Amino acid sequence: MKFTTLIIAAIAVVVLTATGCQKYDDQKPTIAGIAVAGADFSILEAAAIKGGVAVVLSNLNPGDPSGHYTVFAPNNAAFARLGLVDEGSLAALNTTFLTNTLLYHVSNGDLLNNALITNSTSSSALGGLTRRIVMRGSDKYINGSKILATDIGASNGTVHVIDKVMIASSANIVNTAIAASTSKVFASPELTFLVAAVVKSGLAAALSDPTANFTIYAPTDAAFKAAGFPDVASVSAAPASTLQAVLLNHAVGGGKFTSELSGTTATTAGGGTLTYGAFNNGTYTIKSNGIATPANMVVPDIQCTNGIVHIIDKVLLP
Amino acid sequence: MQLTKQLLVLALLTAPVLSFAQSPIGGFMQGKGKGNVVVSYTTESYDKIFLVPQKIDGVPVFNKVDIQSISVYATVGLSSKVDLVANVPYIKTKGNASEQVLTNLGYSNERKGIQDLALYIKYNPFNFKVGTGNISLIGALGIQTPLSDYKVEESLQSIIAIGNKSTQVNSYILAMYKLKCGFFVNGQLGYSLRSTAVPDAFLSEVKVGYAAKQFYVDVFSATQISTSGVDILKEGFTGSFPATKVNSTRIGVNVYIPIVKGFGISSGASSYVYGRNLGQSTGYYGALIYSF
Repeated sequence: MKFTTLIIAAIAVVVLTATGCQKYDDQKPTIAGIAVAGADFSILEAAAIKGGVAVVLSNLNPGDPSGHYTVFAPNNAAFARLGLVDEGSLAALNTTFLTNTLLYHVSNGDLLNNALITNSTSSSALGGLTRRIVMRGSDKYINGSKILATDIGASNGTVHVIDKVMIASSANIVNTAIAASTSKVFASPELTFLVAAVVKSGLAAALSDPTANFTIYAPTDAAFKAAGFPDVASVSAAPASTLQAVLLNHAVGGGKFTSELSGTTATTAGGGTLTYGAFNNGTYTIKSNGIATPANMVVPDIQCTNGIVHIIDKVLLP
Repeated sequence: MQLTKQLLVLALLTAPVLSFAQSPIGGFMQGKGKGNVVVSYTTESYDKIFLVPQKIDGVPVFNKVDIQSISVYATVGLSSKVDLVANVPYIKTKGNASEQVLTNLGYSNERKGIQDLALYIKYNPFNFKVGTGNISLIGALGIQTPLSDYKVEESLQSIIAIGNKSTQVNSYILAMYKLKCGFFVNGQLGYSLRSTAVPDAFLSEVKVGYAAKQFYVDVFSATQISTSGVDILKEGFTGSFPATKVNSTRIGVNVYIPIVKGFGISSGASSYVYGRNLGQSTGYYGALIYSF
């Protein structure tokens, strides 16, 4: 009897110890698991934690019969383009904006590579705002973001890797610029000079028109300062007609992502001409007649409801 | 069983370092009115986490976690067949998140406090000779319960929580076979019933050692298998770390040397060789032991 107990105990110990050594190679990680495990997704991981979606993407999607999500996952280099070079630098972002931005990368069900065809659109988890597939040569883009790897299978969906963070606003061009000028995007306000110029110029209504569709080059505050406006008051003090002429030189009919750039020149809404540099690593330079060296893109490809905004580092003087 | 002085020394080595995942129950009894008190210092750290399906480099948010603890352990024999065992650790865990990340998330890099009191009663009803050795059968029942109001369940902040803040009722059966020459082997099985969302678990340990008058060494393998629970970042995960299924196998070594007049020192090291939903920590301890 005692021996039997001993033998049973000994066997159980061995069995339990052996059971403890099981592996899980047959299991797929969740989308959140892929982000946490991937060294090139450390900023995305931190963003998902700060943005409150890490737990969501650990679970099945209750909003889709398949229980799956598709995530276009920006790698670390994609975040670095926005100055988000490590987990700590995410402090520069407003949390609501961060969460919305992440949701724009998520959609319901498995959206596999073979369904990502030219000009197809897909609804995102950000209020259904759509993304568009663009082919440029043999490269495939979603909005202005190049798709680097496709169809990474997760237990709760599919991951595609992209080289730029996709940014979308559920507002029109003017309200998007206002959000960026009031710390609702980056913690440090940006585009405050531009918003003042839009208001003073009387172009706010045209740029808010829901039926319009523009490509807008939006100069940063630093760009306005470099162009001779020391502060926001100096912008508001400038003649409306002058500001209008300058601003119209930043608008081109038809909203286009960087990936959709074709041709080397474009005529602006003010009748001026912009000359584009070569498409290089997802951006291009823009030169107007009134500036000596071309402007660079700071944050390209911001999808608004009535156009696409590219934030640039120079004012495009006519 | 007549306890020899040598066995008393061996009994000291039942000193657990709980954060090491060693069983608090050893194979030797103290004898009536005899026992020991152990103060130990443990340091361990990890920068990898066992997740399902793979181990990951870098602890989310905290990058690397360092754990230091001081434990006070005491055991005393109420009779030749019954021992009482008690243990209380003070634990300090430190993360290595940057200040910016901490500010960003409202997290802290440090958690510290008195963790859980463990109390066991140990009963040794059977001892008998087999060949040239002795077999002892021991049963133990105990409770482990939080002594302080330490924080847990604060989303990813609880990665560095000092414990699960759960009350546990633990039971063990243990069999030990010891040869006259000093070699011994013991195996034990336990079940841990846990309050709150912390899953119950099966516990087991096998230990092989050698004990001489002036020297003792053992190696052990301790395993925990949770009976339920979810995996971190897998379906069902709500952000609550205590509710996760924590399985592990830890191997280690303990060494003891008696010094003078009942005092001795002990040291050891151990590391996880397998895990599920826990940090792959490696740790070391040193302990001062007084036996009476």
